[in-house]
Amino acid sequence: MTGQRRIEDLLREFAPQVLAALVRRYGQFDACEDAVQEALLAATLQWPSQGVPERPRAWLLTVASRALVDAWRADSARRRRESVAAFDPAGTGPAAGLAVQPGGDFAGADRDDTLALLLLCCHPALSPPSQLALTLRAVGGLTTAQIAAAFLVPEATIAKRIVRAKQRIRDAGARFELPAQPQRTERLGVVLHVLYLIFNEGYTTSSGPALQRTDLIAEAIRLTRLLHRLLPDEAEVAGLLALMLLTDARRGARTDADGRIVPLADQQRDLWDTAAIAEGQAILTRTLGTGPVGPYQIQAAIAALHDEASTAETTDWPQILALYDVLTAVAPGPVVTLSRAVALAHVRGPRSGLALLGTLDTDERMAHTHRLEAVRAHLLEQVGDTATAQDSYLRAAKMTASLPEQRYLELRAARLHQPAPPASPADRPDQPPRTTGAGTPNEARGRP
Amino acid sequence: MKYMIMMFGGLGAATQNRSPEWIAGMHELLMKLDTELKESGECVASDALADPSQAKTVRFTGGAPVPTDGPFAEVKESLAGYWIVEVDEERALQIASQVVGYTEYPMEVRRIMDHSAQP
Repeated sequence: MTGQRRIEDLLREFAPQVLAALVRRYGQFDACEDAVQEALLAATLQWPSQGVPERPRAWLLTVASRALVDAWRADSARRRRESVAAFDPAGTGPAAGLAVQPGGDFAGADRDDTLALLLLCCHPALSPPSQLALTLRAVGGLTTAQIAAAFLVPEATIAKRIVRAKQRIRDAGARFELPAQPQRTERLGVVLHVLYLIFNEGYTTSSGPALQRTDLIAEAIRLTRLLHRLLPDEAEVAGLLALMLLTDARRGARTDADGRIVPLADQQRDLWDTAAIAEGQAILTRTLGTGPVGPYQIQAAIAALHDEASTAETTDWPQILALYDVLTAVAPGPVVTLSRAVALAHVRGPRSGLALLGTLDTDERMAHTHRLEAVRAHLLEQVGDTATAQDSYLRAAKMTASLPEQRYLELRAARLHQPAPPASPADRPDQPPRTTGAGTPNEARGRP
Repeated sequence: MKYMIMMFGGLGAATQNRSPEWIAGMHELLMKLDTELKESGECVASDALADPSQAKTVRFTGGAPVPTDGPFAEVKESLAGYWIVEVDEERALQIASQVVGYTEYPMEVRRIMDHSAQP
């Protein structure tokens, strides 16, 4: 079993390197990607019984090249010419200004190649679901079936998504190369976003078989680690890796045995992963102050403060609030305001938090998320406004598209339920919220 | 044979005035049953739908399709979730009965049509 695991790890490590080498040699990203998948499959079938070849990378490269030639023979010459033109290998040049660290796992060219591959898979012309799928397959070395299982969609859907993504890359005339600055930083931002999406996909959705979801988290962390090795001086890459580690460290305590959500304040903190916390903290300490401070570093610093508190009561909320102030300055947005309101409520009391939430009521971007109502419900409950809090919980429960969150919110609402005098027949909880103008909105919007 | 077992009602339709313990028990029953059906291989697909208050209905109005807020049916009759199971009718009814026995809220069991053209 461990041998099987070792082979899988080996294949996943080599997958992007072999693909990059192939693309460098032949152009035609899409055909090369298919060929590498075939080689990986062959290795998965042969290596466990016949043993790992002495030079596994060269083995994969040979098998993939052969698969590519076979595919070409079967293909029309016309299509080949088109594709080669689109992926002109002559247009690729070594990356200028890219720091190549000596003594790493990669030779300089491999280093640039893997990065170029990531940039290509996260090409801005692709939709986020396509970016995710293509990155996981081409760079992560996952099979279509594994990706499909992780996203809980049929395998054919992922297969089509990947085919279309590769077509789109070709149509966009994307090149297998590292773009020059400032475009490179911009494209790197997209890569970080895609990696964070993969992480969140695994982290926030607890529906479906738990194992497959945690695989996505592990894969996101593995790929971010890889990127951090390629670009050790990029502070935001380090920040994202730290953020993932410091967040994922709490996974074991986030849900109970029945899969129900446990809020941060109620989590059993001895279930947190201390090794992951230590690693995240170390990365963060190394990074902060070395480059421009960005949203991932700030969010990681906030996560670190939560992780450092041995009880919910000893959480350093004033410091967290200060970091949210920084985050508001660097990357303002309604979601940041929402989190800041929680911190504010802890530092200055729930009414201050509610007042800040009130500023979001007219924000169109919050119209379709349950989070505003969920946070408001918690704060109203703290203030002691039970009836309004219950309304808010129910409204949030109706708005969420996450089943575990809906169940959590529904239970919170039911807990506040008081055996009230019989309501009028028309006054059913399954009806849209009454618009009497009283209650929640006034409470939240009104007083500062 | 495939059957679709359907649950109806928005949030609160079946849980109105129930205790937190009762609601937790219902969640547990649904999750357990879902796991069982998946592990036994009987479940082909299952999903819960977001609350009908979030639904939009597209109607042909004034010569053009126009989306409006809200579900087509009454909230109580609006689809809330479903299982598609590959079983005989008796078993499909048995599955539905397990849920209705707890929630006291009706469910519908519908045969899914075949794509094959066998007589």
